[in-house]
Amino acid sequence: MSNTRRALFRSAWLPWALVLPQLLIIFVFFYWPTGEALYWAFTLEQPWGGGNAWVGWQNFAAVFSSEGYWHSVRISILYAASTTALAIGAALLLAMFVDREVKGSRGYRLAMIWPYAIAAPAIGIIFRFVFDPRSGVFAFLNQAAPGLWDPTLNGDHAMTMLVLAGAWQLVSYNFVFLLAGLQSIPRGLVEAAAMDGAGPLRRMRDLQAPLLAPTLFFLVIINMTDSFTHSFALVDVMTGGGPARSTDLMVYKIYSDGFKGLDYSGAAAQSIVLMLLVVGMTFLQFRFVERKLHYK
Amino acid sequence: MFRKTALATGLLLALGGTGAQAQQRQGFTFWYGLTGQLSEAVQSVCKRFNESQAQYSVTCTSQGDYARALQNTIAAFRANEQPTVVQVYDVGTADLMLAEVYRPARELMASQGHQVNWNNYLPPIAAYYATSKGEMLSFPFNSSTAVMYWNRAAGQKAGIDQPPATWEQVADAARKMKSAGQACPIALDFDSWAMFEQFAAIHDLPIATRANGYGGLDAEYVFNQGLMKQHFNNLLGWYKEGLIQIRTAQSGKDVIASFAAGDCAMTFGSIASHTTIRRTAAQGLDWTPVMLPIYEGSKRINSRVGGASLWTLKGRPEGEYKAAAAFFAFLATPDSEEYWSTITGYIPVTATGQSRLEQSGFYNKPENAGREVAMQSLLLTEPTENSRGLRLGNMTQFRAAYANEMQAAFAGQKTMDQALAALQAQGNQLLRRFEQTYRGKQLP
Amino acid sequence: MVERRPLLNLATHLLLGFGLLCLLLPIWLAFIAATQDVAGANAVPMRWLPGPHLLDNLAAAWTRADLGARFTTSMIVALGVMAGKVGLAMLAAFAIVFFDWRAKAVVFWLVFVTLMLPLEVRIVPTYVVAANALRPFQAILDITGLTGLVETLSGVRVALEWRMLNSYTGLILPLVATATGTFLYRQFFMTIPEELVEAARMDGAGPLRFLRDVLLPLSRTNMAALATIMFVYAWNQYLWPLLVTTEPQRSTVMVELSRLVPRGDGLPEWNIVMAAALTVMLPPLAVVVLMQRWFVRGLVATEK
Repeated sequence: MSNTRRALFRSAWLPWALVLPQLLIIFVFFYWPTGEALYWAFTLEQPWGGGNAWVGWQNFAAVFSSEGYWHSVRISILYAASTTALAIGAALLLAMFVDREVKGSRGYRLAMIWPYAIAAPAIGIIFRFVFDPRSGVFAFLNQAAPGLWDPTLNGDHAMTMLVLAGAWQLVSYNFVFLLAGLQSIPRGLVEAAAMDGAGPLRRMRDLQAPLLAPTLFFLVIINMTDSFTHSFALVDVMTGGGPARSTDLMVYKIYSDGFKGLDYSGAAAQSIVLMLLVVGMTFLQFRFVERKLHYK
Repeated sequence: MFRKTALATGLLLALGGTGAQAQQRQGFTFWYGLTGQLSEAVQSVCKRFNESQAQYSVTCTSQGDYARALQNTIAAFRANEQPTVVQVYDVGTADLMLAEVYRPARELMASQGHQVNWNNYLPPIAAYYATSKGEMLSFPFNSSTAVMYWNRAAGQKAGIDQPPATWEQVADAARKMKSAGQACPIALDFDSWAMFEQFAAIHDLPIATRANGYGGLDAEYVFNQGLMKQHFNNLLGWYKEGLIQIRTAQSGKDVIASFAAGDCAMTFGSIASHTTIRRTAAQGLDWTPVMLPIYEGSKRINSRVGGASLWTLKGRPEGEYKAAAAFFAFLATPDSEEYWSTITGYIPVTATGQSRLEQSGFYNKPENAGREVAMQSLLLTEPTENSRGLRLGNMTQFRAAYANEMQAAFAGQKTMDQALAALQAQGNQLLRRFEQTYRGKQLP
Repeated sequence: MVERRPLLNLATHLLLGFGLLCLLLPIWLAFIAATQDVAGANAVPMRWLPGPHLLDNLAAAWTRADLGARFTTSMIVALGVMAGKVGLAMLAAFAIVFFDWRAKAVVFWLVFVTLMLPLEVRIVPTYVVAANALRPFQAILDITGLTGLVETLSGVRVALEWRMLNSYTGLILPLVATATGTFLYRQFFMTIPEELVEAARMDGAGPLRFLRDVLLPLSRTNMAALATIMFVYAWNQYLWPLLVTTEPQRSTVMVELSRLVPRGDGLPEWNIVMAAALTVMLPPLAVVVLMQRWFVRGLVATEK
């Protein structure tokens, strides 16, 4: 870890005792099952548990030589990056303006937080309504120019729809953290800057945004991993991976190949790759981004 | 003092005894893969069974859709927590047969002392769930077949009085409707069941070698030729001509909803949707199911059964099998079959059930108008190798691949020929992987 | 407000208003659907104003999904996950940030990696573990040969079993096994000035007293935020409860909600589904609305 602190406690056993409950739970419910999946990745596992045959790297070779898989990796990265950028950008903008405390900002604040409480499947169902090419908002567009919007056949449209729904889901979450972060910046500091003649927009850019860096870092990591790993429910409800695999994100592909298609071994190989990819990406962010952060 | 205690204990025991007696009904669990209204229908069947006798009781649990029910059951089986009975959809049959985790229907009923006339099951239905030697391994439950839904009023408006029987007539009717102002003559989705699997059945065309997989795990897909290839190119052509519109659940209304609303004048789907259309049809919609169209010059044979069957899983206490057998016997009574067909759009699965419906005037009731078409289509001829069923591994993934390739073709990313070739290649990869997973095993 | 700027205020209102519209429109549409009958909910073009059927739909949803009993189950699960996460994650993060400890980087990553592979992806092996939570330990004993050793020494065959299916522990514990909370605490603990630790040490306070007297009060807002997140997360879980509760009387509201949405050959009764969805949304909504005063305003009240 990059930030070494000097003032620390020392004890031979206490830290272990403190982390033990957490470690026990994740050992039993995360590492053990994941280990089992790792084993499957090198075998052909019969779904009903009737036995398996060791096949070495065959599953990985099949995954890597599959065009559909690389497509899935590409669109997953695209999805995660756009969702994160959109969700954090929008939340930052909203939080900074709510923090200006204009009249009614309490109302705005409340209204912007509560969509967070809505479950992903419900969001998916609702967004399917909203983006229906034959009714609602888009029906007007399509009447003006037929075929302008059709997420059921046009992959780019489907992806756009998915990104919007994914970002929508994360905006409230990000908003809460960013607003909390903004409000923890001492008022005195902001007022001093104002007296120095820095306008509100300038203050946002030069003072508040940098002070939010640790929160932003936290959110980027959480949003990225979340987009990679929790897009399942949205895809399942909204597009089912289609049309023509244009929204077949990695986690959905693992789910549909493995547990719908009963190919446990192929799915296990894919999930190992997914995990390595996300761990690698996060590790890089820790190495190169967190180093530049000031935690005070 | 001692006597008092003894008396009190005796009382307690007696109380406990009645409690135990109430619980003594032998229970078992039944997992199924239906949701919404159909789930409620299953629940009411379970309730009927529980009320029909005092010895057994069934606990029925919806596990989501078919795929999810199967996958949950597998997870449970691996943890030794499986239900006694599970509903598995038609294309999961091959997976179950190879896994050897079930008790065959015939063996189960015999071991529990039930006499079953197996020939009573309608041949095209029995054939799907039977071994290559003809022994039924599971009980057909919710069964259906594919039909075309036809909007009479829209046809008459375009000057067509008779529903089309051939694809040539379908295209012709669609063109006339289009010029008569019908924006969406035909609604189509990317479900392979009606447009691909049933098409092959009624035209007596093979989807795969080795008798569609009944003959062994080394079957290969061979659909990409001749009439099949021509048909899908025709569909794409009609789509470009504006005769077909794509309607899927993702776009708000699926084909059935589009038909029921009167938006689209023709569509293809399960006879089980009959009830759905009747319940949700736009005011005054004049419609009827008819047999799937066929190409001129082809001889029509029977369509294939779809839906799901009930499998009994190994590894439960013996008493539960007794209860399960009673449940199966209950489901096969004409009363139960009539009840099930009344509350859903499914068809009876036995000859006695079918004749009960005929005798009771079921098909003459206005709300069931046209439902006999499904039985006619299903029982039209003796099943051939091509219309009997599909015994192909990884079918769920194949269906997903079908949807994706069709989407690519209809969106113009590929030609139809490329899409079909890609589908066949992917399908064969799936079959080889399935064969390798179950290396050394034989289909029963 | 530091200064007055009417133009910027107007822009603020416009921007916030637009944001609000985008965030609330979908919910409004869901509400509209819940007030229609079946035909109205499926009508094209979609309706924008409420119809008269809200109460009927709510009543139908309530009885069909047996929501009364399901709410209790969901509440216990959500509170359990919340309490488990808020507590365990804090202890773990405390050890990782405030101790001079050789293994801390390793432990941090061990915990952190659990963010990378969601439950959906490893659900089958996880389910097998839930059927017997002591299975990993049994396997370790078997593999290391300890089972055999004990058997020869004492004549007792070690068979560890702890079935968690259809139980609250089975619903709760696997959901607690992720790293969000630990990571959040870590990020917050890192911002705590070192001077506080030094001061505590000079006062002769041990680590546990520092945790109780200094860290706990300081973390209140973070705990509130995490508690909210975890409550919503647990409440909205769907796939795991569906799998782990095979008895209908044990299932959660989300599972029942999803059972209302037909797949395959049935037409969704969106009006009832949406009415149920709105009902089911209420508890997490209440938690979010109540807690937000805490975690948004809380920090400012201390006015540094």
